[in-house]
Amino acid sequence: MGKQMVMSVMSKDRPGIVADITGTIYQLQGDLADLNQSVLCDYFTMILIATFDDSVTPEDVVAAFSHIPSETRLEVVVKEMKIPMEIAKAKRSPETYILTAQGKNKSGLVHRISLFCYQHGINILDLATTLNGDQYTMILQLDFSAVESVDDIRTSLTSSAEDAGLSVVLQHEDIFKATSEITLF
Amino acid sequence: MLRSDHILATVEMIQKENLDVRAVTMGINLLDCRGGGVSETCRRVEDKIGTAAARFVETCNKVSQKYGIPVVNKRISVTPIAFVGAGFDRHGFVELALALDRAATAAGVDILGGFSAQVEKGMTATDREYIASIPEALARTTKLCASINIASSQKGINMDALALIGQTVKDLAEFTREQSGFGAAKFVVFCNQPGDNPFMAGAIHGLEEADLVLNVGVSGPGVIARALDRLIHTRGRENLGLDDIAEEIKQTTFRVTRCGELIGRKVSEEMGIEFGVVDLSLAPTPTVGDSVGEILEILGVDVVGAPGSTAILAMLNDAVKKGGIFASKAVGGLSGAFIPVMEDEILAAAVGSGALCLEKLEAMTCVCSVGLDMIPIPGSVDADTISAIIADEMALGMINNKTTAVRLIPVPGKEAGEVVSFGGLFGASPIMPVRNVGKSSRFIAWGGRIPAPIHSFKN
Repeated sequence: MGKQMVMSVMSKDRPGIVADITGTIYQLQGDLADLNQSVLCDYFTMILIATFDDSVTPEDVVAAFSHIPSETRLEVVVKEMKIPMEIAKAKRSPETYILTAQGKNKSGLVHRISLFCYQHGINILDLATTLNGDQYTMILQLDFSAVESVDDIRTSLTSSAEDAGLSVVLQHEDIFKATSEITLF
Repeated sequence: MLRSDHILATVEMIQKENLDVRAVTMGINLLDCRGGGVSETCRRVEDKIGTAAARFVETCNKVSQKYGIPVVNKRISVTPIAFVGAGFDRHGFVELALALDRAATAAGVDILGGFSAQVEKGMTATDREYIASIPEALARTTKLCASINIASSQKGINMDALALIGQTVKDLAEFTREQSGFGAAKFVVFCNQPGDNPFMAGAIHGLEEADLVLNVGVSGPGVIARALDRLIHTRGRENLGLDDIAEEIKQTTFRVTRCGELIGRKVSEEMGIEFGVVDLSLAPTPTVGDSVGEILEILGVDVVGAPGSTAILAMLNDAVKKGGIFASKAVGGLSGAFIPVMEDEILAAAVGSGALCLEKLEAMTCVCSVGLDMIPIPGSVDADTISAIIADEMALGMINNKTTAVRLIPVPGKEAGEVVSFGGLFGASPIMPVRNVGKSSRFIAWGGRIPAPIHSFKN
């Protein structure tokens, strides 16, 4: 079934960078699976998974990527996946909660929330934050499969966040799907 | 994939706008509970409700906790009781009422509806006994609600029943004199009563329904009001037209309805009961900021009752239906805006200032849900006048093919302008003056029926 690799790329953004990266993988006869990219303040980052022939090594992929032109050097990390993607995906919890935290910006806010999650056995699946004026907003997608009482988490989270001047809302992911997507049940 | 702005819009709705599910109502068929006599029937009724609703409140609480959205009321509706107690006399119906009250208490629900009858065309001897039992039945119970359907677009208005009902409302208030006539707040008279409405006091489990069914009432006038405030604040009043306002109401209703449907379907899944409908009504509560009247004021009348109130309400009602119907797989019940005076702080204030009169309310009920709801009137108003007010409202429903209802409270010993308060969800209001009292008796004395209206040539 070939070799699954996970690749991470970071560079200054420019038009054509996605075409160059995926073109390189195509030339190595790789088959793309999941891909996620984001641009933050003109910097481009991408994480992607692809399957290659057994003969292709992570070093070959890094070497092929090095030919892609970039204003900054293209930072590339490639790892061979130890657990097949299908199994890693199947592990994903159905108990996904969305946490939003908003408050006046100061340093240590993300650390405080992420430390809270760690201390309560909650894995962060996705995290996005924005700074708008002096208002800081965090949106986290959390895996609650190891959580016994959502109510207890909500209570201690609220008091911990209040100390930091953050107002938090914790809701099941289904609520957001229900209010934002057309097809549902 | 969920987008940040969508997430934040939903968070706003939950955090700042007090989004809730107003009612989850479990419908229970009682037709199979009929025993040889009154006591055996009562026992079977209690058993069936006890078994069917054993895990109901617990399940609602569990789902509500999981999703972080409160379910304000857990309710039961049953088969209209006049069918269950066919052949019983008034004392038998009072016993049935007490049994239903015990069952509701045991199940831990807030309220139970369905002490009801359907007499839109004619009354049986049982129906007359049932009507005679209403004042005592409601005075001696705490969780029971009663309703009666006395008119429909297909059958016309049963004026014999209507004549009895005016007196029943008076007697109900008199039986609960110590509580300012509160008994009358638990009794509602309908034209075109739906069999799947989860809202009280008019919830029944219609004869057309399955054995057990779960209906959900979503509400949220507060959510709509805050969404409109925000829209006007961010875009500026001068840059908006009423079509933009209608669109905002529609989209907000969509989101509110989706949450209600999600909660309802999860409860029904957990309990293994069929999911019925979402009723997407705007039902106000006496809480500050949860008022339909406030929405009318935001949309441009300085006081509810001023010219323009009916037009705004028509637009609001329609936009709510459009948003909700697209959001839900199955919409039913009443689905529209309610204007219950005592339960809506802004409407009650408009009554107090004299801006909102009975006739304007009647006009407003032509374009929204339900009808003359939770209106305290002077205790001195006679039974025939009450019957005639009900007749007018029934005629609106009959001709316009819509549900209308009347819940008037003739407050014993009090006159117009004095304040009456029932507390909790039932609210408070100054007593509304009634004009032309005592001038409709010759009309009510006719009895018989107002024939069903023609269903074509509609102009």
